[in-house]
Amino acid sequence: MQELQALSPYAYGLYLLIILGGSLAAALCKNLIRAMAGLITAMLGAAGMYMMLNAPFVAMMQVLIYVGAVSVLIFFAIMLTKTPAGDSPELGSSSKIAAGLVVGVMPFVFLVSACLNYFKQQVETPPDIPVDQLGQDLLTRYALGFELISVVLFVAMAGAVILGFERRRSQ
Amino acid sequence: MINPEYYPLVRMVIFLVAMMAFVGLNALVLVYAERKIAGHVQRRPGPFHVGWHGLLQPLADAGKLMAKQLLTPWSSDKLLFWAAPLLSFLPVILLFLPIPFGETLYGLNVNLGVVLILAFSGLNVLALCLAGWASNNKYGLLGAARAVAQSVAYEIPLLISVLTVALMSGSLDLHAITVQQGAWPWQWYGVLNPLAFFIYFISILGETNRAPFDLPEGESELTAGFHTEYSGMGFGMFFLSEYANMVVVCCVASILFLGGYQGPIESGWWWFLLKVYALLFIIIWMRWTFPRVRFDQLLNINWRWLTPLALLNLVGTVIVLRLAG
Repeated sequence: MQELQALSPYAYGLYLLIILGGSLAAALCKNLIRAMAGLITAMLGAAGMYMMLNAPFVAMMQVLIYVGAVSVLIFFAIMLTKTPAGDSPELGSSSKIAAGLVVGVMPFVFLVSACLNYFKQQVETPPDIPVDQLGQDLLTRYALGFELISVVLFVAMAGAVILGFERRRSQ
Repeated sequence: MINPEYYPLVRMVIFLVAMMAFVGLNALVLVYAERKIAGHVQRRPGPFHVGWHGLLQPLADAGKLMAKQLLTPWSSDKLLFWAAPLLSFLPVILLFLPIPFGETLYGLNVNLGVVLILAFSGLNVLALCLAGWASNNKYGLLGAARAVAQSVAYEIPLLISVLTVALMSGSLDLHAITVQQGAWPWQWYGVLNPLAFFIYFISILGETNRAPFDLPEGESELTAGFHTEYSGMGFGMFFLSEYANMVVVCCVASILFLGGYQGPIESGWWWFLLKVYALLFIIIWMRWTFPRVRFDQLLNINWRWLTPLALLNLVGTVIVLRLAG
């Protein structure tokens, strides 16, 4: 495993570049599908970072759920709104841009301050946790967080269904 | 002497190169088999003139594909248009990494082999979407829309039937699952739980877009579906990845349900290849036996039959496992 250890800084740099490139494409491309491709690239890079953290199961789930499933759903949503290839949606009004800036800058400031304050010391790479242990912990120790996430998913689904019914009634 | 156990990276690279050769050769063999079987099913000889009994026909086809001019439609999204075939083909090679072809014949010994294959096989749908959309062609887009609806639907019974086997074996490691099953057919999970095998087999036809579920490229209504605008090796890449995907799902089927490389008398890669090619033969046979289903029928088969059956089977397996052990 020696050679793999030696390669890890390069792998880290590569994943960082992938994430940065993908996010820039996602933010700057005017074409929605290209922006989505950038987003998927960034998510693949994040999966690589999970691998670096010795969490292969989370990395695989990242690829399975975000790259394989969520991206396809986003693609479907874009396609249903009928954006033809090569066409770009017009930019919103200045108030929309301001709102976007606020939404973007707030998490940025929050995350940067958190990183600067709390992640000063170096830690060892955590050990690889087997999948059965992960499942046990998710259903006992972290059950509240686990269930809360499913509530969020449920709300999103219910909202989509309600929106669909409203639209059908208005037609 | 270099011990490959200490050099996992070297082993992986060698294995990946070998798998590329395997995928290429396999495509030649499968194209020949497909056309010959199609011929005999329809009472005609199939390819016959190039080489003995048309044996060199796939080589001639490959030469034609590679020599063809690559055309990019004027109004397409050029970057995504050419990224799509690459995105379709590259992950497929990766899918072979955790598959144990024999006792020591594997690329990467991971304890999450099943998850790795399921995760990276999802990239193919994305590639089909991008191809269909970037072509800026109505048939391409319709093909992509069908591919999405179909593969999202068929992934559910597929995952549940794989989960059933994972529950029975208590592992996600393909090597461990193989070893747990014995050499004889009555020890295989496919015989112990035939319903899971059946559901898995039907779902892989939907996942790999094989007839009777090949609606994303149904030529009678969509000319060629998502790859309408691709010529030469652009189409060749999709074609290669479709055949490679077929091989991967059959490899997984033979590991999960048919005991992998284990077999009576002498275990080894020959048993593995025999099982894989037997499954591939059945898939080809089905293509030329059943007519293509309608799209609503395709989704009804899945949502009304396969998914509830798979869920019932999962619950039943859990109950049986509890009672037995």
